[in-house]
Formats: sequence, C-alpha cells, structure tokens
Amino acid sequence: MAIATPARPKRATRAKKKGNTAAVWRGIAGIVGLALILEIVSRAGIVNPAFLPPFSSVMTKAITLWGDPIFRGDVLSTLLTYVYGMLIAAVIAIPLGIVFGLSRPAYRATRAIVELMRPIPPVSLIPLVLLVLGAGLEMKLVIVVFAAVWPIMFNTLYGVNDVDPLAKEMARSFGVNRFGVIRRIIVPSSAPFIMTGIRIASSIALIVVITVELIAGGAQGLGAFISRERAYGDAESYLAVLAATITAGILGLIINLAIGWVERRYFGWDSTTREGM
Amino acid sequence: MATTNRSLLTHGIPTVQRPPRNFKALISFTYFIVPLAIIVGLWQLATTLAPSPFFPTPFAIVGNLVRLLFGGDQVLTDVFYNDFLTTVGRMLAGFAIGTAWGVVVGTAMGLSRGARETVTPIVELLRSIPATATLPLFIILLGGGDDMRIVFIAYGVSWFVLINTASGVGSIHKTMLDLGRVFKISPARRLFTIILPAASPKIFAGVRIASTAALLLAIVSEFMLATNGIGFQLIQAQGRFQLLSMWSWMLALAILGLLINTLLDYLEERVLSSHKLSRAKI
Repeated sequence: MAIATPARPKRATRAKKKGNTAAVWRGIAGIVGLALILEIVSRAGIVNPAFLPPFSSVMTKAITLWGDPIFRGDVLSTLLTYVYGMLIAAVIAIPLGIVFGLSRPAYRATRAIVELMRPIPPVSLIPLVLLVLGAGLEMKLVIVVFAAVWPIMFNTLYGVNDVDPLAKEMARSFGVNRFGVIRRIIVPSSAPFIMTGIRIASSIALIVVITVELIAGGAQGLGAFISRERAYGDAESYLAVLAATITAGILGLIINLAIGWVERRYFGWDSTTREGM
Repeated sequence: MATTNRSLLTHGIPTVQRPPRNFKALISFTYFIVPLAIIVGLWQLATTLAPSPFFPTPFAIVGNLVRLLFGGDQVLTDVFYNDFLTTVGRMLAGFAIGTAWGVVVGTAMGLSRGARETVTPIVELLRSIPATATLPLFIILLGGGDDMRIVFIAYGVSWFVLINTASGVGSIHKTMLDLGRVFKISPARRLFTIILPAASPKIFAGVRIASTAALLLAIVSEFMLATNGIGFQLIQAQGRFQLLSMWSWMLALAILGLLINTLLDYLEERVLSSHKLSRAKI
C-alpha cells in the first residue's frame, strides 16, 4: 500500500543545479554549432544549396508556414489523430493487460493470436484499411490504434505481474473485494509500467500517423503536406518539405518532453521510471 | 518385462514413462493450437457464410501465400527472390549499419559527459522527427535506389540503439571503470571486456526495438518509388484491388516478424546469460 502513495519529488541540490546549468550551456552550444556549420556549408557552396538550403532559411520557412491556414490545419489534424489514437489504444490495452496479468489461462489462451498479430508492421495495414475504410480519420485511427495497443498492453501486463503479492493478500484479508484490489492495489502499483508503455506507444503512434498521411494520398495531415510539397519538386517546396519535417520533429519533441514531465512528476517515486530518464 | 517392453517400443516408452514433463508440453501445445484453431475456424465459417471481397477465408490466404512463394517449376518462385528476400536483405543491411552506428556513437556519448551534454539536444530533436517523415528527404538526396532505402532504414533504426547504448554505458558504476584502470587494462580491452558487456542488457533492449522498426521502415521505404519488395507488392495489390494478395503478404510479414523475434530471443538468452547470473534480480 505504501508503494501506492507518490512521494514528493526530491529537491535538486545546489551542486546538481550547477551541473544542470553547464549541461544547458553545452546543449545550446551544440545546437548553435550545428546550425552554424549547416549554414556555412550551404552558403559557401561546399554542398549544393539546392540539396542543403541554409539552416536560417529553413527555420524562417518553418515559422512563416504557421501563417498558412492549410498548414495549421494539417498540423492540427495530425495532432488530433495522434491524441484520439492514443486514447483509444489506452482504453483497449490497459484493461486487456490487467486481465492477462491476473489470469494466466486467459493470457496463455490468447498468446498465439497476440504473438502472430504483434509482429505485423502497422504500416503494412495501410493498403488494406485504405480499401476497406477509404482515406479518412477512421482509416488513420485503426492503424494508429493497432500500432499503439501492443506496447501499452505488454507493459501493463508486466506491471501487473510485478505487483507485490503481499500487498494484494493484505488488501484481501482486510476484506477488500476483487474489484477493489484491482482499483486500489493493482492499478496504482502498475501505473509506472503503464506510463512506460504509453511513452513507447506514443513515439510509435506519431511515426505511424505521419506515415499513414504520407502514403495514403488525399488524407489530411503533416505527412500529407510533406507528400504534396515533394510532388511539386521546385526549390521553394523543397524548403517547405524540410520545414515541415522539422516541425514534425518539434511536435515529437514537445510530446516526448510532456510525457517525460508527467512521468517524473507523478511516477518519480518508482525506480523503473527514474532509470529511464 | 519392462526391459523387453522398452526395447520393443523404442519410441513409445519415454512418453509414457515421464508423464509430467510431456504433459506440460502437451498443455502448452494445446494452449497454442486450440485458440488459434477456434479463431481460424470462426473466421473460415464467417467468411464462407457471408463472403466479403475484403475478408478472404483463412485457407485461401495461406494457400495463396504458399502459391506466391513456393509454387511454380522451381522450389522457390521469382517472387520469393525478387520481393521477399529483397525486403529481408534491405532490412538486414539497414539494421546492421544502423545498429553499428548506434553502438559506436552511443558508447562515445556514454563515456564522455561533455560530448553527451553537447549533442543531447541535437539527438533529442532529430530522434523526435518521425523517421518516416524523412523518407521524402532521403529520396530527394539519394534518389530511389537500394542504397537510399538501406541508408534510410539505418538512420531510423540507429536512434533506438544510440539512446539505449548511451544510457547503458552512462550508467555503468564508476567502480567498474576504475577497476579496469587500476589493473592497467588497455582502453580497447576495457571497452570490449568491461564497458560493452556491462551495458549489454540496455543495448539489447534497443536492438530489440530496432529490429521491429527495421521491418517497418523497410516496408515504408518500398511504398515509394520501389520496383520490388513486400511493400511494393502491397501497394501493387492495393492498386489492382487484389485483397487476397494483401492478406497473404501481411501473413508473410507476421511470420517474418515472429521469426526475427524468436531469433533475437535466442540471441539475448545466449549473450545475456552471464548477466542474469551476476544479477539474479534486476
């Protein structure tokens, strides 16, 4: 039971803070250095500027693109698909993981099917789902959910297997019913594992969303934007491809940072989470 | 009596004499085969009762896959060589290059704190770009050939290995590194006998994810501008509305993925066996 109460995160000591500042400065130096090298290499013509436009113009393009309502709509569409997909995947995968974790026969009975479905690359579903559902939100969601379900389910399963049996028995002996044990013991103590699953699923989900948009022509989204711009083939649209790719990276970075923050803030008490930082 | 029986029924006896172990195997086999049979049976029943162009019967899918890969006058068809093996080859080449690069850079990052802190933001940004979003860039820069596909797979795969190697090498206990220095072991030997083995569980976790990603990226790379490969076949089948072929190729991918997983399970068992002994509980 004690495991289930999150401890207050430890305050960073002064020495650690100092180390962090140095790390931040080094990081900034790294980014600025890379940007400068790219800029110089392109401006000096060491690499053909048609292939490697100056870094500054790519960044300018990335910023000016935000003024374009179509681009904004594409980014929003990608983000929404990602969020819906993750929510649906979590709603399916967490209960399944708990059931499989609690009942060994249920797990063994479904294992053959799971093991056969899991290795299918989600992107290979694109042609089939595209024919069945057409290019729309449902099509994207089916594939994203298929991709995101497995990591969440398996991590939930590991989490449930990892629950201290003593805590379960104690709750039972205090007269807590089966459902209460799940709610009060199993879910809280496997939460860090579930969060790890969500972190892994999140990066896969974003890859899959963008891929689906890239491949399935006509769909909306950041991937579709890249695919359209690439088709034009001139220098300006190449700049847009680069800018959109960078935007996708920043989107991914923000999601990663947000999930990392949630993990540290709410699950910092668990060693498995802390190790992954 | 018993000895004569044994010599007479050479194959039958052991199964009778050791029931618990075989019984266990039988149970796992049942657990494996029965649910699968039920699902396939239900699917077969549903698709024969209500035929749908989108959902062929399971027997048709398996039959079609066998015909695609093993039919014809030779044992293995051209499709097997041109598409199946091509995809496997691209995947393996990209996977190998990406893993090697990831381990090398990850080790460098893990060993030097300055290097780690300098490149971490760059790595984090590049890693956050969904690898498949960079495919158009790779096509523009390298064209539509095999080399582009392999470089693309290697690029996408390397991040998983790099991050895990850096974190694994970075979290080696200081005493272990000092130990090597105290005994005056050469840096190269230190790397191969202390650092990499100590980081191997984490590296392997990265390699695990990388192997799944390699197959995915290989398929995606074949969706664009390819003339062969499983991904190309899938897109072709979509264009020609051949749903049966699509299902067959998906089955082939499932089997391929399963094979890779089993192989890595086996490798992990062998490589990390010493690790499990040294740390009973991780």
